Amino acid sequence: MISKTLMKQTIKSNFTLWLILTGLQATMVALVAGSGTNLQQTALAYYNMLPGLISAVYVIVTGNKLLAQQVDKGTLAYVLSTPVKRSKVAATQAIFFLGSLFLMFSISAASHLIAHYISVGSITSTEVGHVLLLNLGLFVLNAALSGICFLASCVFNLSKYVTAVGGGIVGAFIVLNIMAMFGDSFNWMRNLTLVTLFDINSILANDWVFIWKFIVLAVVGAVTYAIGSAAFTKRDLPL
Amino acid sequence: MAEIIKTKGLTKDFGQGRGIFDIDLGIQKGEVFGLVGINGSGKSTIMRHLMGFLQPDKGRASIAGKNCWRHAAELKKYVGYIPGEISFPDSRSGLDFLRLQADYMGLHSMAYADELIERLNLDPTAKLKRMSKGMKQKTAIVNAFMFDPDILLLDEATTGLDPLMQKSFTEIVKQEKKKGKTIFMSSHMFDEMEGVCDRVAFLKNGHIVHVVAMQTILGNEKLKEYKIEFNNATDYAAILARPFDFLRRRDELNQVVIRVLDSDINQLFGVLATMDVRFISYKPYTLEACFKETYNNTEVA
Repeated sequence: MISKTLMKQTIKSNFTLWLILTGLQATMVALVAGSGTNLQQTALAYYNMLPGLISAVYVIVTGNKLLAQQVDKGTLAYVLSTPVKRSKVAATQAIFFLGSLFLMFSISAASHLIAHYISVGSITSTEVGHVLLLNLGLFVLNAALSGICFLASCVFNLSKYVTAVGGGIVGAFIVLNIMAMFGDSFNWMRNLTLVTLFDINSILANDWVFIWKFIVLAVVGAVTYAIGSAAFTKRDLPL
Repeated sequence: MAEIIKTKGLTKDFGQGRGIFDIDLGIQKGEVFGLVGINGSGKSTIMRHLMGFLQPDKGRASIAGKNCWRHAAELKKYVGYIPGEISFPDSRSGLDFLRLQADYMGLHSMAYADELIERLNLDPTAKLKRMSKGMKQKTAIVNAFMFDPDILLLDEATTGLDPLMQKSFTEIVKQEKKKGKTIFMSSHMFDEMEGVCDRVAFLKNGHIVHVVAMQTILGNEKLKEYKIEFNNATDYAAILARPFDFLRRRDELNQVVIRVLDSDINQLFGVLATMDVRFISYKPYTLEACFKETYNNTEVA
């Protein structure tokens, strides 16, 4: 299913950026949660705005690096001159991408829980559930966004197109979401971005509406990853 | 003998006349086969089809009876490759890179790699990024040969190597040939090809215009060219009256170039015996000469 050697290589070359952004994100959530406010407010202040930005940087940069940049530079020729199938290459990179994002938000969740416990002194099971769901939501959202970048990385030969298309779409989603917060006249923009499907209010209200939105995001992720991998397996590579 | 590398009607049209068209090649097991052509004539495109990086528009390419596109990964178990463009993964030493490749290949012993490193005078501990073009090329050569593949696809393998190292490379290729390896190499260095190839194909605008067997070149040819200069114009005029095949004449120097079959050589010497010859020199028919002749005389769409 995956190539261990390639996985090691991929982890090595993407670890630094992952570590910096994961650390940054975990620190920020800890600082916000550590201010002693209740979880509702933390959630609205922090989860609405910041994590989308940080993980988007990771998603755009890494998405490009995983395949397109290696095709562009020609370095993938060395991997593909060994008996590693292209489908295996795509699967390895996809699993790394999703796995690294999952770990990123797991660490954020842990950081949030610990900071909250330390500053407030106690934590209820509802609160634990909320933090876990909020981070799960961010993970599913990023699974969809990373899928878009991964698809672009699978299809294009040149890095600049991946950054333009994948990065452009993901960037636009994030910006539209932030714009929509600037008041009622901009609220319609919420309808144009996938980020809206990460429904913080529904999670905090325990009304389970967020579930089907999670599912939509997961489907977007699954479809983009699947199409990307299939396209990468079948296309011409200028190596 | 069996044809181990085969293409039949292989076509890839990139538009605007670029690409490769109807390439038919049959390379025997144990043969060293060369591919020459000017830049952009399609050498790398053929290589990329054999590597399964490109899917043909028409026709097919196969190695050992297996389709190069469908069985690309499987074929890599016995195919070594030097890409036309050398670009390594970042920030590793040459040795780290070779170890990584060995890991992909499931290669356990680096003994042959070490031998090649020594023969090519490569410092494998240098950072890949800081390496000169020649050093990178050597690393790529070691990478292709170290797992002892049966088939080698070498796309301009000696670019950036100094003449001494080119010679070492030629020696390595000859040694591999002795082991029975099949080698398909592209180049624009004629002398490099002359030394090792059994046959050479000329590629022009994506078409094979000629396939020449090296036996017919470099002193092996039955039809040889001689440059003869005479001390006086009388003898010069006398020879011109004879029924020889004159390729060139330079009246101001009393000089001619004559093409003679080996079987007719005594006839030429019989005539020359009575003449006042300043010098006679043999002009070997080189691959380059053959290339220029065929290349310029062949029109392709």
